Amino acid sequence: MSTLSVRRARVKDQAAGSVTATRRRTQTEQRKRGGWWRFALIVVITALVLVPIIAVVGLSFQPSLGSTVKGNFTLENYSSIFTQTAVVTWLTNSLTVTVVTVVIAVAVAAPAGYVLSRARNKLVSGYSLVLFVVQSLPVVSAVIPLFILFAKFNLVDNLVGVTIIYVGSTMSVAIWMMAAYYDSIPIALEEAAWMDGASLFGSFTRIVLRNSLPGILSTAIFAFLLAWNDYLIALVFLRSDPNYTLPVGLETFFQQNATNWGLVMAVAVVMMLPPIILFSFLNRYFSVGGIGGSLAGR
Amino acid sequence: MIYAFIQSLHNGTLLDSGPFVGLKNYTDILTQASFWNAALFTLVFTIVGVFGSWIVGLALSLLLRTHIPANGLFKVLLLLPWIVPVVVSATSWNWLVATPQSPLPILFAHLGFGNVLFLADPTLAKIVVCVFKVWISFPFMMMMMSSALASVDTNVYEAAKVDGASNWQGFRFITMPMIARTTFVSWILMTIFCVNDFPTIFLLTGGGPVNATQSLVVLAYLTVFQNFQTGPGIAIAFVMTLVLVIISVVLYRQIRKVNVE
Repeated sequence: MSTLSVRRARVKDQAAGSVTATRRRTQTEQRKRGGWWRFALIVVITALVLVPIIAVVGLSFQPSLGSTVKGNFTLENYSSIFTQTAVVTWLTNSLTVTVVTVVIAVAVAAPAGYVLSRARNKLVSGYSLVLFVVQSLPVVSAVIPLFILFAKFNLVDNLVGVTIIYVGSTMSVAIWMMAAYYDSIPIALEEAAWMDGASLFGSFTRIVLRNSLPGILSTAIFAFLLAWNDYLIALVFLRSDPNYTLPVGLETFFQQNATNWGLVMAVAVVMMLPPIILFSFLNRYFSVGGIGGSLAGR
Repeated sequence: MIYAFIQSLHNGTLLDSGPFVGLKNYTDILTQASFWNAALFTLVFTIVGVFGSWIVGLALSLLLRTHIPANGLFKVLLLLPWIVPVVVSATSWNWLVATPQSPLPILFAHLGFGNVLFLADPTLAKIVVCVFKVWISFPFMMMMMSSALASVDTNVYEAAKVDGASNWQGFRFITMPMIARTTFVSWILMTIFCVNDFPTIFLLTGGGPVNATQSLVVLAYLTVFQNFQTGPGIAIAFVMTLVLVIISVVLYRQIRKVNVE
């Protein structure tokens, strides 16, 4: 009697087990099918989103009007923009301005953000509010008075003037980003250094800075994108061809060669390559979440 | 010293412009029809820009959160519109929509809509500019939302499911409150970006056709650098600044409130 009931219970268990197993199997199958749907969806969305960018690259390799090249692929556009136009000058200008902006922005924001992060009192929080307001000012409202001011100092149509503005306009966000990163470094590290006799400055340069490479890199990327992509300031302040940066250069070039899309797009590809290369190497350091978090945390 | 330097850079510019602004400029611009048109378009542009990019960004970040092959690749690819310089993407969009020989008008003609001139018709131009803005800024929202979603513990969903919550309920009552703070912040940032946005509009339409896509920034720029009316131009910029500062401070307080709770 007892063995029989045990056997019965076992059979029941097995049946129940196989039922849950099949249920589980259908569930995973459903999930898999759902996964394929989602995969297809995301592929379609990504393709649609990237159409304008693919168009730029594709057109840059197509023979331009009146070209002797046959077929659908040519590097002619690239060779002609580098030999016949001022693209090289514009590229050099853009690179110089951008690199200088990045270096100064990081050099200033690193210590300034440190102060903002560590010295919390009324004055500093008040200052961070000022930074927030400054950051939200329309660029145009600063550009117009700056133009009048710069005209007096001979800084209009001058790459130095543009660099000064880029540094100024990067600064507030750069300081916020650095401060947010420092917040994540435990203060105990510095306290230990002080115990060992390090000065405030010494602990900052030797301990904190060495541990903030990701923060510094993301600040640098931010400054790079801002300076490289800017159009308004360059448009207002740069007035002659040899001083143009790439954005203004591309736009004037576009207006002069409106029908010759191949050439225009080749310049466009030259312009979008540096940020894309930078981004593909450093994208894990780039988190806008950091900016948002720093804003929300204060 | 560093603070003083930054301060002087920003405040100095505002102080310097003081003598150039008279009250007459303000009354002048506030009675101009073009000012109010621009203000209205700025409002529309900002609302569409903020919420359009937020909805697209949130949807994509939710989609990317599920297990999809090559997840990381799509994340990087979808960020491209934000990484590519606006000048480049505006050029490309011009190629796509501006002339009758462009691909999109040809597509529409084949679909039987006749000759659609996207940037010559005021209403269509407005729509194109807004879509362009959403296209540029959704990756930003996607990144913000992804990082917010990443901080939500998945166990909470399991628990909710055991309690019999549907997917929508899970989203409405767990996800939304958990990402509320980041959402607020991203709205504020995007509002600032949209109101201040100059290149997106200027490069695509230049404020035309018939001033239909003039935002306040574009209007201020054109007033100063095309009509050479410095006074009114600065006045427009300052009215904008004032409104934006008020909005920023109010919203900033709001974030702090959310924080405290």
